[in-house]
Formats: sequence, structure tokens, C-alpha cells
Amino acid sequence: MAKEIATFIVNGQGYEVIVEPHMLLIDVLRDSIGLVGTKYGCGAGDCGACTVLLEGKPVFACLTLAVTARDRSLTTIEGLADGAGLHPIQQAFVDAGAVQCGFCTPGMVLTTKALLDENPEPTRGEIKAFLAGNLCRCTGYVKIVEAVESAAGILRNGGAR
Amino acid sequence: MHRALLPFEFSEPASVEEAVALVDGGRARALAGGVDLVLKMRLRQETPERVVSLQKIAGLDHVRVDAHGGGALHIGALATLRQVEQSAAVTQGWPLLAEAIASIVSMQTKVMGTLVGNLCVGTPASDVAPALFALGARVKIAGVGDERDIAVEDFFLGPGVTAVRPHELVTEVVVPARPVGSAGRFLKLSKTADDIAKVNVAVSVAFSRGTCAHARIAIGSAAPTPVRAVAAEELLLREDWCPATAKAAAEAAARSVRPISDVRSTADYRAEMVKVLVRDALTQAADGAGVLDGHDGKEA
Repeated sequence: MAKEIATFIVNGQGYEVIVEPHMLLIDVLRDSIGLVGTKYGCGAGDCGACTVLLEGKPVFACLTLAVTARDRSLTTIEGLADGAGLHPIQQAFVDAGAVQCGFCTPGMVLTTKALLDENPEPTRGEIKAFLAGNLCRCTGYVKIVEAVESAAGILRNGGAR
Repeated sequence: MHRALLPFEFSEPASVEEAVALVDGGRARALAGGVDLVLKMRLRQETPERVVSLQKIAGLDHVRVDAHGGGALHIGALATLRQVEQSAAVTQGWPLLAEAIASIVSMQTKVMGTLVGNLCVGTPASDVAPALFALGARVKIAGVGDERDIAVEDFFLGPGVTAVRPHELVTEVVVPARPVGSAGRFLKLSKTADDIAKVNVAVSVAFSRGTCAHARIAIGSAAPTPVRAVAAEELLLREDWCPATAKAAAEAAARSVRPISDVRSTADYRAEMVKVLVRDALTQAADGAGVLDGHDGKEA
């Protein structure tokens, strides 16, 4: 394929974008579609700041060729909140004080969503293992783990706090 | 590190036959999960003119036990590390492999990356390679109009160099049923949990009357390729099991590696750590195989 108009399904909405094979998913999301919640960190798969969910699973948008994500379901951080109401995971991060500079937070929240969708009642060890690919360089991991535990409890109670 | 990739042609063949016609291992590269290839393209270590995605080829994403093939485990080229790690067949039948994958800590890497892709990188620091060496795995390689099947030990030729030739693709890794009564252990030493191994070790052992009846020891990151410590295995098959035997085997294993000094460790430190990890892995695996419980009718 060369240049083509492709459809990306982001947060349940279709976007038609002109893509070329060498374009990375992060650039399509941020520059072509304008969803800048997905952060560009290391560009090498070390930090997890660019994490998005591809068919519900956490992937590095900086190492994903955009063409391989055509017509597949993508979730970015913009897809979690319901209007002005934060998603319970986002609210739990706010309430736990799990956000410092905030740059890693979109990736942390999305990886947490993938974890809790798969395992609604994770142990502390399981939380740490699942989030190991997301680095916080403010190094505030304790409150992040607490936020995930709290979000898990809230979601198990049907989202009520 | 470059933000943008250089332009290339993109192909999405629907079959292995079409794919092998396209890939040549140099200017035309196969893409599975992309964690290694896309990173190397950003670093300009790889500048392919064509990227051949395998993702649209049906029937390559399996992790299954073949009841007719002696209970061997078959892992397709598109099966992700996460899929293998989570497979009930693997955690029950080949826990050593799940243990090795668990030592790769990044979830995203395991969700995107495939087990076959990990091998095809050809790095001596692969975590799955020592486990597959210890489990006696074989690698199926499809070419134009034919297919060959080699031992995983013959797959690695040098750093970044594998037995895959131009117009060939690895389609499957096959792990035979575990020897009866065997137990394994994977141990890894790294600078931080998310760094690659300074040294990694996988062992698989089974006992009969206080002596190893089966012993395989594989070591990564300590030679140009992952290696088997054959002299150490032979020693274990010869001598009665005891702590001194584990120590002697560990010393023999350290003589079968050729480590280098780099940013992660000196060669001397790596050789010392081979001894420690092999001794500990053997001791823990022996425990798992029940040698100390007198299951084999003799005091250990």
C-alpha cells in the first residue's frame, strides 16, 4: 500500500485519516486526529507514557505502525470520561493524589483499565506487575497502587463511591 | 532516536507462502508485534525498503497442546508473550516457560511482542531462549515451497544472527512434553527489573535413585548466543545429587560460557554469576522435582 484514506475507530468514533505506511499510531492520534492526551515519552517502549488500548489491550502507540491499527478499536485517555464526569479510575487517581506532574497518568490510567477489565480484584503484587511497563519519573508509585486498589473496589461496587 | 520512520513499502500477505516470497531478511523485513523492528527502525539500525506484516495471516496465533503429537506444545508465530504466559496449558505443563516470560516485566511488551519474534531478534539476552533450550524446543521454519525443523540450540548463530535465511519465516515453536517427574527453574540477574539480563539461566532436571536422569542447563547473556552447559549436564547425570554436585555442575557451567564486559557487567562478574545462578537454579529445581523428599527411594 502507499498513501490511503484509512478509518481509525477511536473511543467508539470513526475518523478518516490519510495514512502512509511509515506513520506511527501516536502521530495519527496526536497530529492527525488531535487527541493529544496520549503522551510521547521515550519513543522506545521503555516508559509506557504512550500507552493506548488496542482492542482492550495496552500497547505502545509509539512503536505501533498506524496501518496495523486501521479498522480496529482504540481507546485513548479521552475515551474514559463521560462528559465532565471522570471515569472511576480517573477519579480514584485524583482522590488518592496519584498524579504529580501528570505526564505518565494517561498511560497509567489506561493500563489500569486493561488490568481491571481482566482482573477486577487484583492483589497489590498483581497491580505492580501489570503496571511495571509504565514509569512515573516523579517516582510516586505508592499512591498510584493505592489509586488502582481503590478504583478496583469502586468498580466492583458498580462505579459508586 | 528519530521521531519519524523513513518511508517503506508495506505488505499484508494473507498466507505464509505469500509472505516468504516477500521477506528477504534484509531489505524486506517481517513484522509480527513490532516492538523490536519498529524501535530499530526509529534508531535507524534497520532501514527496510519493505515491511511485511504477518498480522493478517490466519492460523499463526495459536498456543495449543497436540494430543496426537505426544502432547507437545505448539506456539504459533503470532502468539504473543502474554498469550503464552497466561495459557493454562503452559502454566500447568511448562511452568518454566511461563516463569521466563514473567521475568519480562513490561505488560505492553508482552501484549505486543510474540514469543517467536523474541527468538528471531537473535539476542543472546533473550529470556525465553534459555527456557526453550532447557525444554528441548524445536523451531519450524517455512521457506519457498518447503519447511524445515531445527533444534532451538541451532537457531542462534551469533548476536542478532539466526538460522532464518532470506525468504524464510519461523511459523511455529514446538515444545515436547516435559520428561516425567521433571521440574525447572528460571533465574535472571539484571540491573533493574525492566532491564535485559546480565545473566539468565534455565534448568530442567528429573531424578532417579538420587541421581539426575534428565538434566538440561541453558545460559543466556554470557556468550554470543544462548548456550547449553553440556559438560555440567553430563556431570549431573554421572554423580549422585548433593550440594557438592550442584556446585561442581555450576563451575562446569561457568566454563561453557564466553561472556563479554559491557555497560551491564564485566565478563568476570558474569562468569561468577553463572556459577551462582546455575547452583541456585539446580538446587531449587531439584527441590521441585522431589529429590529431597525421598520420592526416588534414596536419601539425597
